[in-house]
Amino acid sequence: MIRLLLRVLGPGYAPAMRRTVALMGAAAAAEGLSYALLVPTLRALLGGAPGDAWPWLIGFGAAVAGYGVLRYAADLRGMRVGTTMLRGMYRGLGAHLVRLPIGWYGKDRVGELSVLAGRGLLQAMGVAAHLLAPLVSAVVTPLTIVAVMLVFDWRMGLAALAAAPVVAVVQAWAGRAAAAADAGRHEHDTEAAARVIEFLQAQPVLRAGGRTHERFALLDDALHGVFRAARRSLLGALPGVVGLTLTVQAAFTALLGLGAYLAVGGDLGAAETLAFLVLAARCADPLLSLGELAGRLRGARRRLADLDEVLRTEPLPEPAEPVAPAGHGLELESVTLRRAGRTVLDGVSLSVPEGRRIAVVGPSGAGKSTLLGLIARFHDVDAGAVRVGGVDVRAIGAEELMARIAIVFQDVYLFDGTIEENVRLGRPGASDAEVRAAAAAARLDEVVERLPGGWAARVGEGGALLSGGERQRVAIARALLKDARIVLLDEVSSALDPANEAAVHEGIERLVAGRTVVTVAHRLRTVRNADHIVFLDGGRIVEEGGHEELLRRGGRYAEFWSLSAVPAAR
Amino acid sequence: MHTPGPAAAGLRPAPHPDPGAAEPSMWRLLRMHAPMFAAVVLLQVVGAVAGLAPLLAVAELGRTLLPPGPADPQHVRTVVIAGAAGLLVRLVFTGASSGLGHVLDARVQLALRRELAARLGRAPIGWFSRRRTGELAKVVGEDVSAVHPVIAHAPGELVAAFVVPLVSLVYLLTVDRPLTLITLIPVALALALVPLMMLPARVREQEEFDAAMGRIADSVVEFVQGIAVVKAYGGAGRAHRAFLSAVDDFVRVFLRWVRGMSVVAAGMQLALSPPFVLLVVLAGGAARIASGGLAPADLLPFVLLGLGLTAPVAALGHGFDDLQAAGRALGRIRAVLAVRPLPRPARPVTPRGHRVELRGVRFAYDPGGSGPGSAAGPAPGGPGRETEHGPDHGAGREVLRGVDLVLEPGTVTALVGPSGSGKSTLVRLLPRFFDPTHGSVLLGGVDLRDVDERELHRLVSFVFQDVRLLRASVADNIALAVPHADAAAVTRAARLAGIHERVMRLPRGYDTVLGEEAVLSHGEAQRIAIARALLADTPVLVLDEATSFADPLTERAVREALATLRADRTILVIAHRLETIADADTVALLDDGVIVEHGAPAELLARGGAFAEFWRHRRPHAPVGAAAAGTDSRMIRGDEPR
Repeated sequence: MIRLLLRVLGPGYAPAMRRTVALMGAAAAAEGLSYALLVPTLRALLGGAPGDAWPWLIGFGAAVAGYGVLRYAADLRGMRVGTTMLRGMYRGLGAHLVRLPIGWYGKDRVGELSVLAGRGLLQAMGVAAHLLAPLVSAVVTPLTIVAVMLVFDWRMGLAALAAAPVVAVVQAWAGRAAAAADAGRHEHDTEAAARVIEFLQAQPVLRAGGRTHERFALLDDALHGVFRAARRSLLGALPGVVGLTLTVQAAFTALLGLGAYLAVGGDLGAAETLAFLVLAARCADPLLSLGELAGRLRGARRRLADLDEVLRTEPLPEPAEPVAPAGHGLELESVTLRRAGRTVLDGVSLSVPEGRRIAVVGPSGAGKSTLLGLIARFHDVDAGAVRVGGVDVRAIGAEELMARIAIVFQDVYLFDGTIEENVRLGRPGASDAEVRAAAAAARLDEVVERLPGGWAARVGEGGALLSGGERQRVAIARALLKDARIVLLDEVSSALDPANEAAVHEGIERLVAGRTVVTVAHRLRTVRNADHIVFLDGGRIVEEGGHEELLRRGGRYAEFWSLSAVPAAR
Repeated sequence: MHTPGPAAAGLRPAPHPDPGAAEPSMWRLLRMHAPMFAAVVLLQVVGAVAGLAPLLAVAELGRTLLPPGPADPQHVRTVVIAGAAGLLVRLVFTGASSGLGHVLDARVQLALRRELAARLGRAPIGWFSRRRTGELAKVVGEDVSAVHPVIAHAPGELVAAFVVPLVSLVYLLTVDRPLTLITLIPVALALALVPLMMLPARVREQEEFDAAMGRIADSVVEFVQGIAVVKAYGGAGRAHRAFLSAVDDFVRVFLRWVRGMSVVAAGMQLALSPPFVLLVVLAGGAARIASGGLAPADLLPFVLLGLGLTAPVAALGHGFDDLQAAGRALGRIRAVLAVRPLPRPARPVTPRGHRVELRGVRFAYDPGGSGPGSAAGPAPGGPGRETEHGPDHGAGREVLRGVDLVLEPGTVTALVGPSGSGKSTLVRLLPRFFDPTHGSVLLGGVDLRDVDERELHRLVSFVFQDVRLLRASVADNIALAVPHADAAAVTRAARLAGIHERVMRLPRGYDTVLGEEAVLSHGEAQRIAIARALLADTPVLVLDEATSFADPLTERAVREALATLRADRTILVIAHRLETIADADTVALLDDGVIVEHGAPAELLARGGAFAEFWRHRRPHAPVGAAAAGTDSRMIRGDEPR
């Protein structure tokens, strides 16, 4: 656990971590050592000489005070170090996430990461912070007590010591069994969760299928799967839990028997025997809590392991000596990209001279958006090359490349802030006049006028308070403000209402004027305005040329438009 | 929404006899498992109390060994065996309790989830549109899992925290009353410190702490979701400022909280720690023994059992977080279980024919959104959020404001109008996703509310844009409404919907499991939905035409489906494309919840009213090359050569 924590955080935190654990260990050892004074104290009290007990009691009091101070110091330090680590972890994660290629962020990934990095990480760290001290003392205190017993009586001490390796082995075995059981459950939980979501989302369809009268079998099976997995995991984990308890109790019983035997035989004073048994009882309690502590740590550990996996994802390599591109023409040379065992793009070659417009069309799933992303280096190609201004994008620094490109995504994400903040993201140093001009060009000004609060109106998380068309206009204004020479545009495929659509189109026309443009096009107007059209299907370019030329050819492109164009086109 | 109305009484289907009460269903379900839970608790009590035996054995050993003179070996042996037996009983009983508790837990979770699924499967579709899938899924998943600590762990924890200390206390009181009171001093000290933790300053710090924790979680979510923007604008160091400042903010608040709490918390911890309790017990014991009030051997029970007396306070310190969380989760589960299904007719009437009539239909989305996820405002679909089952409108506003419309059998009615005019809502009244707030929807002369649900599904099918495919085989997906359809019928429907060839290219054809072995594009999914509707072969079809140009094959499929089905069916289509509109027998123009014009398309255009205006407004967005004249007859007839 600690090793994993340190790997996640980096070695810089090791000394602080070590000191904290050492301090916790010292506090736990102080507790164990203070119990040494119980032996003479109890000997005096039980031996009928209470007067003799007072000096020992005062000593015990001092030891307890010492323990209290150490414990406080350890706890405080634990909190501080834990907080510093949390901050380090978040900062490290933030810095790493910024470096990961955009292509890494799939829809599912974003969801998982949000959960993990949000509450998940806090909870994991909270558990680690709260459980580390009890865990250290559950191990160190009993060991110290055993040492104390060894000093006072080797026979009782040895008997106690003999139990230690057995407890350790059983504990390790129980932990492994429980972890395996957890893993089995996790799989079924995931399956059931997916089925629940499917069940909820498919409600209209299921109703229409009249499937409300019977149980939805796919979900019901998954729920039963969870039930069976829970039972199996119980059978897997219970022996470990019972085994640990059994071991600790057997050791205690052995000491009880041995003590009684020695006392009856007169080999050990009655008072000493009883004092040892009190010590043994002090050993047993923390050991019995080990199982539960370990279980809760496992949960936290899983989160950290997930985090570790994210942190170990390599960002795209940055060039040691970045080359500045000469110009803003684009070129793809036999580009092949594979994702998850599937070839998304297969030998695509394409060239866009500076200042020209190209439209990419094709059926959904053809790889259009991926192609767009390659130019901005969301992924690195598996074969071939992507060049901007004659230079391979891998040889251009990420900042340099991004500075030359403005992107308008199909799904516009806005930050929870004001409209102005979101537009300014395009170029933070822009003057007010420039921001206003960009907004006017994107026809965003009328949205601003309409909204209560105007420029200071908040857009809500992800831009939820704006309509789809309004979000598009913010994105266009942002891109206009950036004033980059290359524009990548992923056109919205679903219809906007006419007013919005007209506004968005007008904005786009201003955005693309005089720049090198690659558009994933869903609308005929955009395609018509392009200098060159590429028809993509199954990751390959199947046709390319001008609009009229392609129509005359009567191939895939012609079919595409004859089907979707309204008859008035003829 | 929490109390069941009389209409819901006795209307649930046979597999779930549920006489009326919606609200108590959770308690009824939990009560069913109460005997087993009692057994879990009882086993735990016996086991835990037996666990005191070895400690008492040590005390008894003291009483035997300490007095001068030889001890009776026989008695010593008995005591040791009794102690060991106690441990064994504890092991067996607590083990059994834990095992049984976990089995019970799994059973209760299964029962709750199945009940939730059954309820959700009957909740009005309109109810879903105001909730996020994620939050409902959380109720079925995580919230049900939250009962785990209550059933599987709470008995053990509560018995250890309260029953064992109580038994110990009673026993110690019988041994020596004054020393028992002394033993309680640490508990009293700890309790005395509690008010210090409740000082306004502490409470405020706690609240700030919670808030900072919330902020950090929110900002990381926003950061991750907006990462593409962050990177696209090269603001690596800049755009996650909010995130970093939330982190620093959290650290600051946390450290202040630690400063404020640490001394009190440490004091409490020390007071409850075993060494301190032992110190108090031993000091008190020394005084009692010295004064002759206590036999030395009677000190032992206090040394051994006295530590356990602090357990209740320590447990309170942890605040039973799990139990509180479980309580909140159960509250959310209860809210979902309390959702009333659309009322079913007591005496179903069979529709005669399939003429559809809307009479004075008014509709407003349920303004009271109780239950999970009701906070969702008028959020249009966007990245990272879900638009579910149709429109998500502001609460309470009337979406339909008095709609009268007749759909004749054998005709296609095109519903047109600007976005937000209520089209999606209107068409969703036909499969009875909602009931109108005023007025009625009649099918074959019968109010939909009087039609049996199964009968309705046999009569009305629909293809909406938000297509959902199940993670099941292609054949199962197509045959959703007709589970017993034969393969030939499925293939025929797929061919008609233009998806057959695509299916044949899948790894295992119609047996391919979608979502696992193959992923279909949106357009292909829409064609599967069309195949579904074709196979269902209902006399009434409701269709929401695709709005995008993304997949022409789907467009064609829709058109061919319309042509194939036309015969004597009643078809209502939300039309976006001029061609579909021109092809329809009747056009109804909806604007702001009322039908402003209704009639044959050519006739309406000639009239030059609102529809003609609408048509002209659409025209500029028609592709290049379109002639200016809005009354171009070729266009209206849609006679494109193909």
